[in-house]
Amino acid sequence: METLKYTFPATKKISQRAHVGVVGSGDMEVIVEPYDGKEAEVTVRTGVTGFKKTWEAVIDRFFTQHDIAAKVKINDFGATPGVVTIRLAQALEVSSLDTSVKS
Amino acid sequence: MTQALRASFVECSGRERAIKLLDNGTYKELLSPFDGVESPHLEPQGIVPQSDDGVIVAKGTVNGQQAVVISIEGSFQGGGIGEVSGAKIAGALETALKQCENGMKVIPVLVFDTGGVRLQEANYGLLSIAEIGAAIVALRRHVPVIAVIPGKIGAFGGMSITAGLCSAIIMTREGRLGLNGPEVIEQEAGIREFDSKDRPLIWSTIGGEQRMAAGFADLLMEDDTESIKEAVACIIKSGGMFAPRAEQVERYEAFLNQLDLSQRLIPEDVRKLWNEPGKKTVQENQSLSENIKSKGRGQVWFDLLRNGAPEISDVPSIRVADALIGKTKVRYIAVVPDAQSRFARARNGEVGLREGWTIAKYIREAIQEDQNGEKRAIVAIVDVPSQAYGYHEELLGIHQACAAAVDAYASARLNGHPVVSFIPGNAISGAFLSHGMQAHRLIALRDPGVTVHVMSKKSAARITHRSLEELEAATKKVTAMAYDIESFEKLGALHSLVDGIEADNPELKDRDMIYKEIKEAIEDIEMVGSMGLEVRLTSPLAQDGGRAASILVRKKLNEQWN
Repeated sequence: METLKYTFPATKKISQRAHVGVVGSGDMEVIVEPYDGKEAEVTVRTGVTGFKKTWEAVIDRFFTQHDIAAKVKINDFGATPGVVTIRLAQALEVSSLDTSVKS
Repeated sequence: MTQALRASFVECSGRERAIKLLDNGTYKELLSPFDGVESPHLEPQGIVPQSDDGVIVAKGTVNGQQAVVISIEGSFQGGGIGEVSGAKIAGALETALKQCENGMKVIPVLVFDTGGVRLQEANYGLLSIAEIGAAIVALRRHVPVIAVIPGKIGAFGGMSITAGLCSAIIMTREGRLGLNGPEVIEQEAGIREFDSKDRPLIWSTIGGEQRMAAGFADLLMEDDTESIKEAVACIIKSGGMFAPRAEQVERYEAFLNQLDLSQRLIPEDVRKLWNEPGKKTVQENQSLSENIKSKGRGQVWFDLLRNGAPEISDVPSIRVADALIGKTKVRYIAVVPDAQSRFARARNGEVGLREGWTIAKYIREAIQEDQNGEKRAIVAIVDVPSQAYGYHEELLGIHQACAAAVDAYASARLNGHPVVSFIPGNAISGAFLSHGMQAHRLIALRDPGVTVHVMSKKSAARITHRSLEELEAATKKVTAMAYDIESFEKLGALHSLVDGIEADNPELKDRDMIYKEIKEAIEDIEMVGSMGLEVRLTSPLAQDGGRAASILVRKKLNEQWN
């Protein structure tokens, strides 16, 4: 198992917290919570070791494109870069909706 | 044509299922992912945890009726029950029980999708499942407890026993219900006994349709969310329409007694026998002749403790006797090998079909006889190598036999009988859940021959895709994975661990020490007066870290409940 941490400068607030995905084969879960600081703090835990550079590229691309001040936790069980990006986009979408229950 | 599109329930995640079962807008999740109470035991083993530990607990209403849905996420670690996920289920049921006892009904709905105990947290899962079972039996006296087994995994291992304790079981064709998973049976009993790659065989043996047709499920539903919700509502409305299967000892005993096991039964035979019961065809031997009697610890300790009291069981592998310790009435129950059993997979002292139902019969008999008088103590003498692994066992519902035994022990407790387990040998897996784990107090011998675990090392390695060496290494990091009784003691569930006893060839002085231990345990039960298993969480070792997560989860659940 590997734990990776990243921070990105951010200015925009998100309206609510979000949770999507599951720590199942080829998938991952993301938890996004609003953060009062001026950055996005990303923590990745992955069971597949040795892909630090790939993670860096995927995460960097996403948070460069999306300016959100948030705490982001990723628990990964072998999601591919495509799945990672889709899950993050989904979490972002949920976090800017205003219904109280979403999965 | 106006046919509405069906919405699959099977394809939903655990959380979506909980949301969909509850009335719109009433969903309130307890210990949600944002609370971040995850398993503390996975990271040390290099496994990524999940923020809800794979169990979703949500309060709300079903057709306006207060309910709590407990839904297992099968995609995370095969829906395995670890310390946190187990405590979420047990804690939610215990809180629901408290609310029911205060006169405010809340209906528990369990959505199963689980392989059973999470092998990486082994004995935590075992303890949790015992606590879940205890809560369900107690809850059933107030409200129906509803099981939904949609698939794709189904309900296996200790959690199949849990399902068997529920008031009613709803399945889909995709759902499966069985004690031992196909791979474990193949590992333990060989590919000729069960081919784990043969999917048609698996579903025709333990799939929803067969379970429904052979008397092991109550409603078979299409994979449609609305229909499943209606089925749940229908069971709630029906009140006491469904007689809990685990209490129907006579019917299942008669069912087993008409089976001819000389050939491999096919699923259709079982449906027919269940629906058109025939005459009893089997005559059991009353007891074992001395020369073939096992020399195992179960038999030896049973004979020593009963001290000449007559044996009353009509099944050779279940030994029962009523005796006295001082002035205290005690019914001893032991599971022993029966080399001539017609159930070939249950000849070495395993808990099998006949064993589960027979244990239930003799405990229920004691409950009945003592209804208006002194409640005799029930003492389980535990030396069980495992549950029986076999094709016939699954086909004929060994999970239900185990549930019957669990139910009987738990009912004895709830009816005021002191229940004690004395463990001079192996206490393993489903066998221990069925015979021993429901006791108020557990007494074990400090001896290398006394072990507690959930699966043989070979099977556990196969299921978790590890080598035996990796498995051994993990048991050193996680106490709950170890097999020895001293590691088990650290979890705080034992009432006492007795030193200096000759376990294999006990003498009278050893017997007298155990009499003293049993007597002291019975007095402790009577003094404390609790009918549940709480003592396993309030003991100093449990409080001191042995059950830290189990305690924390319950505390938080309680805080969030209202």
